[in-house]
Amino acid sequence: MTTPSSRTAVLDRPDAPTSGDLSFPRIVASEWIRFRSLRSNLWVLLITVATMVFVSVLIGWAATTEDAGEQPTGTAASLVTSGISLGQLTVAVLGVLTITGEYTTGMIRSTMTAVPRRLPVLWARVVVLAAVVAVVSAIGVALSHLATLPFQSEVGVTLDLSDGETLRILLGTSLFLATIAVFALAIGSLVRNSAGGLAIVLGILLVIENIFAVIPMTFFQNVGAFLPATAGGRLLMESETLAMVAETSTTPQLTPWQGYAVMLAWVVLALAAAAALLRRRDV
Amino acid sequence: MIEARALTKTYGSKTAVDDVTFTVQPGTVTGFLGPNGAGKSTTMRMIVGLDRPTAGAVTVNGKPYAQHHAPLREVGTLLDAKAVHTGRSARNHLLAMGATHGIGKARVRQVIELTGLEPVAGKRVGGFSLGMGQRLGIAAALLGDPRTLILDEPVNGLDPEGVRWVRHLVRDLAAEGRTVFLSSHLMTEMALTADHIIVIGRGRIVADAPVADIIARAAGTTVRVRTPDATALADLLRGPDISIASVEPDLMEVTGGTAPAIGAAAASAGIVLHELTPLRGSLEDAYMQLTADQVEYSSTPLPASEGSDPAGATAPLDEVARS
Repeated sequence: MTTPSSRTAVLDRPDAPTSGDLSFPRIVASEWIRFRSLRSNLWVLLITVATMVFVSVLIGWAATTEDAGEQPTGTAASLVTSGISLGQLTVAVLGVLTITGEYTTGMIRSTMTAVPRRLPVLWARVVVLAAVVAVVSAIGVALSHLATLPFQSEVGVTLDLSDGETLRILLGTSLFLATIAVFALAIGSLVRNSAGGLAIVLGILLVIENIFAVIPMTFFQNVGAFLPATAGGRLLMESETLAMVAETSTTPQLTPWQGYAVMLAWVVLALAAAAALLRRRDV
Repeated sequence: MIEARALTKTYGSKTAVDDVTFTVQPGTVTGFLGPNGAGKSTTMRMIVGLDRPTAGAVTVNGKPYAQHHAPLREVGTLLDAKAVHTGRSARNHLLAMGATHGIGKARVRQVIELTGLEPVAGKRVGGFSLGMGQRLGIAAALLGDPRTLILDEPVNGLDPEGVRWVRHLVRDLAAEGRTVFLSSHLMTEMALTADHIIVIGRGRIVADAPVADIIARAAGTTVRVRTPDATALADLLRGPDISIASVEPDLMEVTGGTAPAIGAAAASAGIVLHELTPLRGSLEDAYMQLTADQVEYSSTPLPASEGSDPAGATAPLDEVARS
């Protein structure tokens, strides 16, 4: 490595590029640079899209085989968004690591020295993460649509973008996954530890929600309906399915948007706790 | 200018920084010395708001750090060379840091050149050596062309050439009127770099003075003189600036005079000298004296053993036999 002389440009104070104050748009720009300059983030997004396409192709193909028999094939919207159950896991991992990666490497100290008021970092990270996940989810849905076109025509379903319910499910997929990612980010910010954050978020999504759903006791069934992913998942259900569930179940039946509002409430709660602790704790 | 007033930080029952008050002046390099665990890093972290003081306050350039509109342009901070995401390249790290203040590619390129990071700027920081990590940390500190620099152990892990480079850099920055506050455990390095030194031990300020004063105060300019006519020489030397301590009947330590002056005085009076030794005070001695009671983890000397320690040759016979 060469050592340059010390008498150099650092001393040229009036240089234009160094001028400028801290501002929220600039912090967002910084967060965007951070996000796209980590190879692991790009991999997680790629895996998210790949799994979404893979799952819908698999389900589309299955619907065309004889095994499908007399089972209802569902709509094109549910087919192209069927990868969401796997997609939510990868974006949850992304959300946790977006913040805990800075704690485990020590980067957070650089980050909070640049933005000593701290909270703008959290909000900017929410903005960038939600936007990226929403766009990538939309790409995943679009590619799933293209990949399943042969199966769609064989089964006899088509994607009708003028249909309100179809739009709700398609856009809801982006909304749902972005919200999951932000929830994971908030949890990661609370625990500041990758392993702990992943355990909590995946534990809630994979274990707790499922356990509540299968325990045949009114209490668990009633509470389970209000857990984040279960409630938010209503946004992605067709009205037919919702009606079917309502007939056979005695639990509270949330409308799609009520369900999403409940999910959002969880996220707001987690973010508020994360913000309060971020202000109070030493970095 | 950094002004800390009654700064205190406790972690549970442990007090890391205890009622510390000091001022770091612009235009000088101020060294921050102290044994490990003395509270140097905690103090520096409080200055830039990473740690909240339990009591007291600290301002940089007149305001608490977090209240500046452009913190990176006020203060450049190197707190921890590895405060970087290991998966990101050096250039992207600097771009991300700079973007918060609208600092763009041109300035990032400048600091990369300045710190000699060009060959590795595109590589991921995870593979960096300690020295390269330090250079990246210094590059990040210089990014905003700040008026004040806070550098925690900046030469840690640098090769001798890098050490000299940092020394010149901080001296130049101070010469331009900037405030430079740097910590180091290398006392000799501090003697060459700093104008002023603040010594901290067990969370308290032990000394706060110009480098020369610290050396003089702790060790003084003492000359050891051995002569059979000790009383006569003592009478001869006695003066307002001279203090004489008698160690043995024929041995004394004279503080305030120089060896040539004492030798000349003895010669003119015909006094025979058996020994005339200037006891040179070094910053290291001064530091050891100042912090002797303040070290948290002190080591006791190992018993002398043959071969590994030349002192073993002069150890009493029974000691040598035992080892």
